[in-house]
Amino acid sequence: MGKYVIKRIGYMCVVLVILSFIMFMIYSLVPANRAYTDAKAEYTALKNAIPKGKADEYFNEIYLKYQRMYGTDTNNKVVRYLRWVGLYPLYDGTYDGLLQGNLGYSYDYKKPVVQVVAQPMKNTIKINIFATILALGITIPLGIHCAVKRGSRFDQAIQVLTIIGYSLPTFLIAILFIWIFCSKLHIFPPSGMKTPGSNFTGWRRFKDEMYYMALPLIAMTFCSLGGMTRYVRASMIEALSMDCIRTARAKGLREKVVIYSHAWRNALIPIVTLVVGWFLGIFSGSLVFESIFAWNGMGRVMITALRSADYDVVLLMQMFYVGMSLLGTLVIDIVYGLVDPRVRVNK
Amino acid sequence: MAKNKQASSKKSGWFARFVHGGGNQLADDMLGKDATAADVEVIVSPMRQVFNNFMERKLAVGAFALLIVMFLIMFIGPLFMPKYKDSYTEVTQQSMAPNMRLMSVPKELQGDIKMIDGYGSFSVGLSNAGKVYVWGSTQIGTTGVDIGVIPEEVQNAKIAMVAAGIDHIVAIGEDGKVYCWGANTLGQYGTQAEAEAAGKAPNPNIAYFPQELADNGVDVANVKKLTCGYQASAILMNDGTLYLWGNKLTYANMDLFLAAGKVYDIDFTLNYIVGLNNKRTSIYTGSRDLYNTVRENVGSAGKKISEYLNGRKIDAITATNSSVCLLLDDGSICFSGDFPLDATKAPELAADEDYVQIVGGSYHYSGLTNKGNVYSWGSNALDQTEVPDDVTGAEKLYTGSFQTYAVDANDALLDKWGLKGYLFGTDNRGADIFQRIINGGKMTMTVGAVAVIISSIIGILVGCISGYFGGKVDVFLMRVAEIFSAIPFLPFAMILSAVMSHMVLSETMRIFIIMCILGVLTWPGLARLVRGQVLLARESEYVTAAKSMGVKENVIAFKHILPNVMSVILVTLMLDFGTCMLTESSLSYLGFGVAYPRPTWGNMLNGANNETIINAYWWQWVFTSIFLAVTTICINIVGDALRDVLDPKASVEK
Repeated sequence: MGKYVIKRIGYMCVVLVILSFIMFMIYSLVPANRAYTDAKAEYTALKNAIPKGKADEYFNEIYLKYQRMYGTDTNNKVVRYLRWVGLYPLYDGTYDGLLQGNLGYSYDYKKPVVQVVAQPMKNTIKINIFATILALGITIPLGIHCAVKRGSRFDQAIQVLTIIGYSLPTFLIAILFIWIFCSKLHIFPPSGMKTPGSNFTGWRRFKDEMYYMALPLIAMTFCSLGGMTRYVRASMIEALSMDCIRTARAKGLREKVVIYSHAWRNALIPIVTLVVGWFLGIFSGSLVFESIFAWNGMGRVMITALRSADYDVVLLMQMFYVGMSLLGTLVIDIVYGLVDPRVRVNK
Repeated sequence: MAKNKQASSKKSGWFARFVHGGGNQLADDMLGKDATAADVEVIVSPMRQVFNNFMERKLAVGAFALLIVMFLIMFIGPLFMPKYKDSYTEVTQQSMAPNMRLMSVPKELQGDIKMIDGYGSFSVGLSNAGKVYVWGSTQIGTTGVDIGVIPEEVQNAKIAMVAAGIDHIVAIGEDGKVYCWGANTLGQYGTQAEAEAAGKAPNPNIAYFPQELADNGVDVANVKKLTCGYQASAILMNDGTLYLWGNKLTYANMDLFLAAGKVYDIDFTLNYIVGLNNKRTSIYTGSRDLYNTVRENVGSAGKKISEYLNGRKIDAITATNSSVCLLLDDGSICFSGDFPLDATKAPELAADEDYVQIVGGSYHYSGLTNKGNVYSWGSNALDQTEVPDDVTGAEKLYTGSFQTYAVDANDALLDKWGLKGYLFGTDNRGADIFQRIINGGKMTMTVGAVAVIISSIIGILVGCISGYFGGKVDVFLMRVAEIFSAIPFLPFAMILSAVMSHMVLSETMRIFIIMCILGVLTWPGLARLVRGQVLLARESEYVTAAKSMGVKENVIAFKHILPNVMSVILVTLMLDFGTCMLTESSLSYLGFGVAYPRPTWGNMLNGANNETIINAYWWQWVFTSIFLAVTTICINIVGDALRDVLDPKASVEK
């Protein structure tokens, strides 16, 4: 098992490097020249102080300064990439890249990217964890129930409902929920993260936050119900048709034991894959929710950064998403081994 | 049945067998020509079995039928909309609720019309009895004002004249009192004293309602013209005195008119007030060179106005949004200003036929001649100029913004033509949502389909090669697939399209690249599925047989194995098609997919991103959403049902 995990991690790193290279190359297609913009700005500000006839020379000097600062004083894109990662020295021989802990500088916020992303990341993770708990709490019992009562009216109704649920785009569900809960029923606030201008503390603050989180949370949970319920139901049906279940029933075990002990353990294996994959999926899924509900999360930061071409933020964000997704596959592999003894034996 | 059998037995090749099955051929061979239908039915090909099973599922069959209908509407529908343009916008028709009654003159008014006027989304009518009627789309924006609610004092008074602006109505009572109602955001009515009493600071951009009109009313008998523009109104007296009020931001030359004193005639285009000077020889706007070139007809060469008139006088001016029509004292007409590209020419009249009345809507003119003939010309984007053939005996013409009403000598409504309304309302740019849904559906489905085709070509190729050849090729390809599936879909697609937006690309190219992005990011799933299926098939006996016969390897992979895994692939393609449509919609919704003006269902929902719009302009998202939802739900139901019936294990269990 240990060897297998190490092998996977090594492979993960290779993929991460390849993807980061691809990503960096895609960004370098953008015809933005930050050093030039900054140099121009400084040059314009200093214009009057520059002696006549030396304007060009002066500008080139400033331009070179910024190019060196951003590491773009070469046209070789591979060198630029290596500098970004921190494997190739800047003009003065120092290393300043991802590996040295320099995650970039947001051009829009005039802050290091880490500071820009920290709070939104907390918000996103918070809402995603709540959504996961809620969704699992609903879908697993529902899926099991449908599988056991297969073909019943209830099951059929759920089947139709879930197919509708996962056929609708997430933004549509969000719009629908805003319309129903905010415009028609006036239960929840349509957007935001806390009562504007409020400065609550303690319990009241928690209550206020929860009040604002409720609608995005409900919408996110609802979106995942369709696919997850169907998946749980399918793997439960598969498990219930195994020979061991017949044996268990023949032994005279109680139905509850058969379902929750024998069948469920078997159904768990595919479900684990799903849960991890889904948890990662909601990170990119929350792009949509955060933009609709004005939830100050990572997705929103990324969309704003994309719109204003703030590429250091986008690049780091993208690396985060890739990293999460690779980590997810690793977790799936490991958890697989934990819940399924057969995999452990094989590896 | 017999015909079918012959036809199918003539066909050969794997595809025919795949679709029809070998069963019929087999039955023919076994039973000869004496076979009865009942005997043949006993042997059912796998595909026929699948078909039968599928037909048993009522929901899936219904969904399939609905899906076909959707496809037909989206791909045939645009052919019936030759006038549709992606970039069509109309400022006076923005955000109108679904309404097909824009031209529905109330029954009580139909036999007793004194006048009708309209500028934007609604029309106002006045009966000879002095009663005011309003019809059309009467909700004004998000203000909550319903202009169809006529104030009580107006209902009680006997009204002599009415006129409608974009969001307000002005009426003059028989006693000379001036009534206004509707939206009052930018000085549509109300004197400065009233505004100050309500606690508002005087707004320099507003020409307030004249105090003397509010105090003394107007001498009704001497009112020559009452007319309204975008958010402004004017009353012109017979002696040339002009009362003018409204929003100066829309009409920058309003101050000049307020200072100018007497004019002979006045009207509003969308951005300028146009007046006819008292000598009746030129058009006054306050801006030099504007409207001083006239042309004989739409699109003909322009001449200086003094040169063209050559001593003739102008009787009346009629303005549309961007042009002015001049009716001269010899009964001929000429034009000044700009016309929309699709504007038609005014008809050539016979020598003894002269115009007696010209009326103008937003982009069209209607003219009445001394012989009682009626003509319409100008832009026909919303059917404004489609005059019915049987209009004779018209005595008077009135226009709304996109409608013309012909009235006979007894003041009864003779005929009407023009824009009936919008089935699904209009969007925030004033375009018809129904038309955009149909054309957007075509785009959405095309993007989805091409993306699926791209992903399936890559997926099937990689899957087949990887599954059949195995070994190092397999390992390499599957690693590549893994890298691709490690890319988080939505963020990556957004970044690619954002990067693309910085490059100089044509819109078609951009859309094609979006299709490619969707396709290239979705293939790994399909490749794995095909690989798995091929691995299973590779071990089967018919492949061993083919190998032993010396069939080439790539022929085995693509001609023997591929058809056998085809059914699974088809189901996945179907479901992928739905997914691609959803992804495209999400991308476009966030503004990173297909961009305006090209409509897709995703970017049409783009505006519905805050509670105010979601609630107030519900039609801007409800209908589009329904189309999108119905299509994807149908695709998923059909795909699901297909997967169930194609899976032998599932059908045994059932």
